[in-house]
Amino acid sequence: MNCTRRNFLIGGSTTLFLSGFFPKLSFASMQKKNLIIISLRGGMDGLTAVPVIGDKRLKKLRKKLILEDVLKLNSDFGLHPKLEIFHELWQNDKAAFVHATNIPYTGRSHFDGQNLMETGAHIPYKEKTGWLGRGLLASDIVGKGLAISLPMPLLLRGVPQNNNFFPSPDFVETKLIDQIYDEFKGDHNELIKSTLDTIRQRPLSMQIATDSDNRKKLALEAAKQLKDQSGPRVAVFELDGFDTHAAQGGVDGAHADELEEVNEIVKILYENLGQAFDNTLILTLTEFGRTIKQNGGYGTEHGYGSAILMAGGLLKKSQVYTDWPGLKKKELFEGRDLNSTIDSRAVYNSAMSMCFDKDPEFLRRKVFWGDDLPDLTEELFKI
Amino acid sequence: MSLNFFRRVAFGLSPSDKKPDDPLPWALNQLNTVPEFLWPGSIPTEKELRKKYGEWVYGDREVLRKKFKNDKNEYKKAKDDLRLKTGERYFELNEHAIRHYQTKYSQQPVFERFWLFWGNHFAISEKDFLAEFSTGPYQREIIRPNMVKTFEDMVQSVTTSWCMIHHLDNSESVGPNSRRGLESRDTINENHARELLELHTVSPSAGYTQEDVIQLAYIMTGWGHKWSRKNLETGDVWFDQEKHQKGDKQVLGVKYKNDAKRELAKVIHDLATHPVCIEFVSTKLCRHFITDEPTSEMINPVIEAWNKSNGNLIDIHKAVIKQAFKYNDTTHKFHPPEIWLMQLSRMFDLNIPLSSDRMNYNFKSRPTNRQGQLSWILREIGHSPYRAKQPNGWSDVEADWVSPELLLRRFWFASVELPRLVKSKNQLHDFILNCLKNNFDNYESMASLIHQFRFGTTEKDLGRKFGVICNLPGVLKV
Repeated sequence: MNCTRRNFLIGGSTTLFLSGFFPKLSFASMQKKNLIIISLRGGMDGLTAVPVIGDKRLKKLRKKLILEDVLKLNSDFGLHPKLEIFHELWQNDKAAFVHATNIPYTGRSHFDGQNLMETGAHIPYKEKTGWLGRGLLASDIVGKGLAISLPMPLLLRGVPQNNNFFPSPDFVETKLIDQIYDEFKGDHNELIKSTLDTIRQRPLSMQIATDSDNRKKLALEAAKQLKDQSGPRVAVFELDGFDTHAAQGGVDGAHADELEEVNEIVKILYENLGQAFDNTLILTLTEFGRTIKQNGGYGTEHGYGSAILMAGGLLKKSQVYTDWPGLKKKELFEGRDLNSTIDSRAVYNSAMSMCFDKDPEFLRRKVFWGDDLPDLTEELFKI
Repeated sequence: MSLNFFRRVAFGLSPSDKKPDDPLPWALNQLNTVPEFLWPGSIPTEKELRKKYGEWVYGDREVLRKKFKNDKNEYKKAKDDLRLKTGERYFELNEHAIRHYQTKYSQQPVFERFWLFWGNHFAISEKDFLAEFSTGPYQREIIRPNMVKTFEDMVQSVTTSWCMIHHLDNSESVGPNSRRGLESRDTINENHARELLELHTVSPSAGYTQEDVIQLAYIMTGWGHKWSRKNLETGDVWFDQEKHQKGDKQVLGVKYKNDAKRELAKVIHDLATHPVCIEFVSTKLCRHFITDEPTSEMINPVIEAWNKSNGNLIDIHKAVIKQAFKYNDTTHKFHPPEIWLMQLSRMFDLNIPLSSDRMNYNFKSRPTNRQGQLSWILREIGHSPYRAKQPNGWSDVEADWVSPELLLRRFWFASVELPRLVKSKNQLHDFILNCLKNNFDNYESMASLIHQFRFGTTEKDLGRKFGVICNLPGVLKV
């Protein structure tokens, strides 16, 4: 591809904003809508996941990271072969990508970047809650968050009564839980009491012991619960290992292994959500992309712009939504990274707006301090 | 006074601990000196471990990545071998053993509780390979000896320690008008300056501005590791004049004359003796030892002791203990998982940590499951001490430790894993009753809960007993 800057962003959003926000009250919106975020820690390489086709410069700079057998998306972009479920869904308008996007953070530290991708803020460690938690709270959706991790991810903090699922290595007898519950009856500790209530009300399937390293099983359980009309509306998955400084490879390298894991989670969700998949939106989240140029270890360094992988029936259509900045040296961020032309928080804000049936303008103020984030709902999602 | 005081300020009483006649002086007398480490096994120095860190990153980054750039499987294999050779998988386990041996056997357990507190106040969160090689020795060599000095001394040592500098990227910070800055157009990294203000000293309630952060970052420019080809980022900390921002600086209204490396000590002096800093840290101490939301009546005597002693930590610690004693029977404190585990280990004389002989390591194969057991337990109960996710360390309030899975993990540990840690000589019911009697005023009602299992000594029976007694309201909280 030899593309210049394109303006995909003009039109659409402003008209929606001016006409006010009126969520359609059709049957579909009566159905519970699920928002699923998969955190990709370490810096996901957007150019490996969704490579631009036929860019000579990229080929030259990444001699050892060339992807063969790329799955075709459109005339400009391909898809990494390990992301096959996305390709399958793409045929049915149930997968899409936002490219050349990132949170507004250019510091290249995992540490600060991951904090900011979760808080949605500008200064690392300043905010103690996550954008998703604040979005749920602002939308009065309480007790509907599910984290597939042992600690409560920062992303979900800020709203009370979230549940998490990360079973212990062995079984805890119900009798013991009941006994402890009884002993707490006379106690004044309301938090522990209500948490014990939550534990006792968990479905049987959540009470079993399983290997928490077994992501398949965890995703399966998450799908089961998200399918339930009275179950959680938001789920957060955690994946790490995207920091491929060496042997990143192409079709088969270290980055491919990570993408395969994303693919697996989405596949399990797709296969097990059934009809509920049509009322689901899955988005990825990462701290930054990676450098255009390969390094001495045939890996890549920390960069800036990346991509968001999206799946689910709530997408408007299959598309690579981008304001492509180009890969010529002067078009790169600081001469080395894919630039970010879309603040990824605009995508997340729009996604929450659609899934929580809230005015994007309202959420933008409540969750992102009124930062300048265009409403992309109409471009990206079914409304 | 209730027996829970021994858990409030320490780890409870072990079967061999003699019950102190006079608990307050017992506690206060533990704070005057720094106790030796009791761990009979190896206790490597910070410098030795930093060298290992260097061998690991150099070997990986400069050697293996280049050697195996086309073969991810061969690369992974070679990298794994290097991990073993440099102890990358081992030293953290050994540090956990040193730490838990100390809290289990120390004759100054109250001191050890303060040690845990300061390690977490000046937290090193999970970053690069700090947990593997550095956080343990940092807490032993930087935090610990300063606990009988002043708070200011502590801040000075911490701020110029290799571990904190690496943790908060100060080596990356370059004054834009320094020789290096002019040459390379590099600029400051505010990370360390911000946390020095926000977390370590005055806290946001001092009302500092972004400009204060920038000015403090200017003062701190030049303090970093000495980079070399072979050691990479693991060289000693030094002051590099070439990176130091020239000119006068101003932080929180105080002017600091252009004075190179001496600027830092001056600003730390002002920050560490700032009234807002004193109040902030005193509140944190009271939160840790008394209750999540300490009142000003609880905190004020600590602030007074601080002012009176010019920040002498021995005096400050004593004031905290006096307050903890005073409010012992009228407040509650929920303990985070690691402290809970340390208390169970001491009260019931559990087989934690593994004996020092069995912690010996050959640097050739993976550490054994037994060697990794304690660290695994800590991870499973959600509190791996060197792996806080953020530089503000582990939370000290109950709300952050009560989630469905975190509570279930405690039930799991007490009912499934703990029975495997009971020494065979300690399996009899009478032994358990005796431990309860040593540590709980209501031991009779606790005993009645496990009475039906009194004849059982199998793991399952022990699990039924410990599962419930370790998770009672009065055990999860003091």
